[in-house]
Amino acid sequence: MALLLGRNLTRTYSVGRQLVTALATVSLEVIAGHFLVITGPSGAGKSTLLNLLSGLEKPTSGEVLYKNISLSKINESKLANIRNSAFGFIFQIPHVLPHKTVFENVAMPFNYGTISDPDHYKRLCLEHLEYVGLGKLVDRSPNTLSGGELQRLVFARALVRNPEVIFADEPTGSLDAANSTIILDLLKEQADRGRAVVMVTHEKEAMAYGSDILELKKV
Amino acid sequence: MAKIDDILIELNLDLKDAWGGLLRRKVRSLLGSLGITIGVVALVAMLSIGEGAKQKALDRIASLGLHTIRVEDARTGVGITNLSYGLVLKDTQKISAWLGDRGSVGYFSRATNIAIYNNQLKGQGTVMGVNPEWFKAEKWLVANGRPLLPDDMTRQNRVCLLGASIASDLQVSVGSNLRLHNIPCIVVGIMAAKGRLLTEGTGLSTLDFDNTVVMPWSGFPFVKVVAEEPILDGLLVTLKKIPEREILPIAEQVEEIIAVSHRSVRDFSMVVPLKLLHKVKETQNLFAWVMGSIASLSLLVGGIGVMNVMLANISEQTREIGLRMAIGATKKRIISLFLCHSLLLTLSGGILGSLLGLLAALAIQWLAGWEVAFSGVSLILGPVSAGVTGLLFGIYPAMRAASLTPARALRES
Repeated sequence: MALLLGRNLTRTYSVGRQLVTALATVSLEVIAGHFLVITGPSGAGKSTLLNLLSGLEKPTSGEVLYKNISLSKINESKLANIRNSAFGFIFQIPHVLPHKTVFENVAMPFNYGTISDPDHYKRLCLEHLEYVGLGKLVDRSPNTLSGGELQRLVFARALVRNPEVIFADEPTGSLDAANSTIILDLLKEQADRGRAVVMVTHEKEAMAYGSDILELKKV
Repeated sequence: MAKIDDILIELNLDLKDAWGGLLRRKVRSLLGSLGITIGVVALVAMLSIGEGAKQKALDRIASLGLHTIRVEDARTGVGITNLSYGLVLKDTQKISAWLGDRGSVGYFSRATNIAIYNNQLKGQGTVMGVNPEWFKAEKWLVANGRPLLPDDMTRQNRVCLLGASIASDLQVSVGSNLRLHNIPCIVVGIMAAKGRLLTEGTGLSTLDFDNTVVMPWSGFPFVKVVAEEPILDGLLVTLKKIPEREILPIAEQVEEIIAVSHRSVRDFSMVVPLKLLHKVKETQNLFAWVMGSIASLSLLVGGIGVMNVMLANISEQTREIGLRMAIGATKKRIISLFLCHSLLLTLSGGILGSLLGLLAALAIQWLAGWEVAFSGVSLILGPVSAGVTGLLFGIYPAMRAASLTPARALRES
């Protein structure tokens, strides 16, 4: 079943007086339980496509449908709610808040979503930290973690709201081989559990994890 | 109800986040709020000084009595004509007749630096001859013995009442025989301590109640006499509880009665405490405007400083804003976060400023000897105005943060 549908997605940017096309008329489906790998050369629009699919930016033309809801047509608050509850994000650079603890960073999505039971969300955070192997570092500052540990922290944060789609933009780009394997295995496991995974990469080892591969060409 | 609970939970989270952000950049936060702190110090110190001046003026007016009209002898001593000899008993009778039951007229004559003897003990003080209405008007209570009675006036009794200090200095008790200069007098009462009549700045003569001896005017041996007419040193018209708006017309009429009686010779001065109150209010309004302008300017400068700090913070936190948006923060929450940030920045500056303002006011009191008074309003106004400044000057940076798109914010280096 297609969770996300991209129709004729085009994105242009103004650079000075010039219009630069980053992505031109791309259509695709993101299906639950599939591991979609988006690849292609630098400047082909891989990250732009991921941003459009995840609602981080809007297409210049075309539309993205999430469960038949057009992300371009809903208001900003509803879009934020979808990002909070249905999408999880992993970026190449592990974005964390350095002044918060590991636990507080993982719990951040709950700050922007409904909290029905504080005990329940605390348990979820701890479970996901255990899952990515950071169960003993909950009170540590992110500044004391290695690159691999930071990316696992981000992974736990992406999973904590039980999302339907996980977006990963070059998640192994700043990791060594061992840590890359850990992250890719975790992503594969999530796809196997029925979540849709959308990963942007240009690494061949990473591409091998995909069940579907979309190769973009430079416009 | 659930919606209000959600808003409170979100506000609590944003306040905690914003506080964490402030602590992350301690030096910048401190410097950023310094302008606000200085503004609030100025505001609180000036309010305290203004409040002190106002309190002093109100104390003076309360001491004089709001429902009174005070008239004093103002003869220059030269060029006394036979047109008028000064304030005389006839003036009090005319005013009393015109007033009817709207008020009463007290009067007094006074002699200063009179030697007072109680056996071997000697003191010096003011001796006044008064009528019973004067006592009532000054609200001076008898601590021991009895007050002056109408009979004392009728019989011209040589009796007296003593102020608390002079009674204590001369070890006087009720029944003691005093000599005022060389005139004998029996003490019938000791007065309660009352302090001074607060006449500074009014043109009225001073009166230290506690060092004064009071006698019935009819038996007052030191009365000045001009052309066989005993002269009064002052009148005290006390009005019954009437609306304030009626006091000034009555005062004008009293002045007119005396002026006609004195054949237009301006040999008396008149003080209406209600007029003083109006002047105090006018001065206070002017002071409030000046003070408000200075404080507003200080807060404006402080607010610009806070806006600068906020813009610098947002510029540094662009990726963090992108991250928050990516994981579900709405524009409203981003605005709320940064408004909380600027609010806490200015509020902490305001609270610190209020405390320093109190210390500054106390230092001014100690160094310059000015009266200061602290009101709850001045203590609350400092942090509140700082908080409002924070919200006003935080709006633009907060809107700017919220206008970022998540993808663009995440790309920022």
